[in-house]
Amino acid sequence: MGLIDNLALGFSTALSLQNLFFCFIGVVIGTLVGVLPGISPLNTTAMLLPFTFGLPAASAMIMLAGIFYGAQYGGSTTAILVNVPGETSAVMTCLDGYQMARQGRAGPALAIAAVASFFAGTVATVVIALLSAPLADLAMKFTAPEYFSLLVMGLIAAVVLAHGSPFYAIAMMLMGVLIGLVGIDVNSGVPRLTFGIPDIADGMDFVPVVVGLFGIGEVIANLGTSQDHSILSGKIKNLMPTWPDLKAAFPAMLRGTCIGTILGILPGGGAALPPFAAYALEKKVSRHPERFGTGVIEGVASPESANNAGAQTSFIPLLTMGIPTNPLMALILGALMIQGIQPGPSMIKDQPTLYWGVVASMWIGNLMLVVINLPLVGVWVSLLRIPYRLLFPAIILFCCIGAYASANSVFNVWLMLGWGALGYFLIKVGVQPAPMVLGFVLGPMLEENFRRAMLLSGGDPLVFVQRPISAVLLGVAVILIATMIFPAIRRKREEALKE
Amino acid sequence: MASRVDRPAIAFAAFLILLALIALFGTRTLANGSAANMGPGYVPRALAWIILAFGLAIGTAGLRASHRALPHFDLRQFVMVLLSLAVFALLLPKGGLVLASLGTLACSTCALSDFKWRESLLFALVLTTLTVLLFVNGLGLPLPVWPQW
Repeated sequence: MGLIDNLALGFSTALSLQNLFFCFIGVVIGTLVGVLPGISPLNTTAMLLPFTFGLPAASAMIMLAGIFYGAQYGGSTTAILVNVPGETSAVMTCLDGYQMARQGRAGPALAIAAVASFFAGTVATVVIALLSAPLADLAMKFTAPEYFSLLVMGLIAAVVLAHGSPFYAIAMMLMGVLIGLVGIDVNSGVPRLTFGIPDIADGMDFVPVVVGLFGIGEVIANLGTSQDHSILSGKIKNLMPTWPDLKAAFPAMLRGTCIGTILGILPGGGAALPPFAAYALEKKVSRHPERFGTGVIEGVASPESANNAGAQTSFIPLLTMGIPTNPLMALILGALMIQGIQPGPSMIKDQPTLYWGVVASMWIGNLMLVVINLPLVGVWVSLLRIPYRLLFPAIILFCCIGAYASANSVFNVWLMLGWGALGYFLIKVGVQPAPMVLGFVLGPMLEENFRRAMLLSGGDPLVFVQRPISAVLLGVAVILIATMIFPAIRRKREEALKE
Repeated sequence: MASRVDRPAIAFAAFLILLALIALFGTRTLANGSAANMGPGYVPRALAWIILAFGLAIGTAGLRASHRALPHFDLRQFVMVLLSLAVFALLLPKGGLVLASLGTLACSTCALSDFKWRESLLFALVLTTLTVLLFVNGLGLPLPVWPQW
């Protein structure tokens, strides 16, 4: 089947009435959480996960994906109008976007952000369609040692590119792997680390752990800081950017899309890193770098296209190899597994309607975002007027219902309570809980492939370096670790992340 | 000298060490197996030892680092949030979704310092109604709505 046939199949799936509806719901919810600071797409997705169990797999995936890229989009609206990044990925958009708004050019800034996101989304959709088949073919050659090495490299890369201390992050990841192993061992049928609690004999449920760590932990931490903001008043008029605006923005958009696409595919990528890199590059190639931060349109176009491209291409490793590269992808992997689908190289062949439907829905979702965002921008901004004192109890209630609904069990609410307390503790001592989620989801896969590889090699650990693909992957992991240990490179990394 | 330590790092290290010890205790009866044929205990136990090493390393580094105090910790907010989750878990099976929802909203609102009685009460009633309509009537979750006598 050619690319055109595949995309045609995808569009026919994505354009069904039901899937259009869930795509719409997804992007609306995504925009909503993107606009509201203090609620991240990660904990929203975790909260909504149980409600997707009853849906067909394609509809569930289309909706969850919509939440993710919708949130990147919504984050930029508040960044431009209120100077509050709804998401970390919108931090860079604040710099020039808010300045433009203060100069009365909020309309063109919003329009360019929309155009840049849509353009990047379109390119990223094509890239996903082109890259997935060859990558899946490559991944088909993988056996246990290669998979183990790939998982290790993915986990290490996620740590290196994350914020905060890499050593803390590795410790959290190992803890996640350990927690992921709780439950009955598939090989021997022996319960492990369950301490006689029957509710966790099949492993700890994914939803209460993640909602506890992120949802509950974060809202308690947010309580300590003010979440209410003053809003730039005045009507937004004249959405249309001028011709010189477009001419200045287009090359920036192209560069941003390239950076976002590449960084999104890399393990540890996603939507947070690309805008930083794109903004830095734009400043470097610009003929007037000193004007950045005063409201230049390139400063909006480039990070906006980068974060949207990155958000979408970060689906590639998950869909083609079954490896989530960031915690949100780990959540989506969890959702797929609950649906009984193991993402991996064979997914394109076994589930073509699901696979291409999700890819096509991303393009449709991006189009919807432009349509629902530009005319309705006032509505979204007015949402910021909801005080946190009302938002906060609502979040708590939805977390409870979500945790209960994940298995219709009250035990899961208690489990969430425990993880919430732990999440708060970790945030307080300055440890990011995100790497734990990656370890937690990948833990069982990691152990399984490790055990299988060692069984095949007769207990010889050299098997991981004797096979070429595995050796290369581990080599990359070692280089990544080296970059953390050697101070010169580490300083550069900190600079890059700080910018 | 006791105050010249990185307290958050020490707290994190203590947590890792505790976790590793619990895991080592929990896996004590599991067969280890050999590298070529691993038993159920092999990987978890190995992980526990590595986590223990991380905990010790982070702890030792924290003892030598420059002083950082533990951040402010609001016990009331923390307890009230956890209590509102507990209220939900306790009330839902017998009391039904309406009571559980109102109880949770009441508890979590008390965690705040700037709430207004009337506004919050009205909001709780509206939100509870919407919750029942959305989750029970709309999404068809098998939740009891009213108290079971």
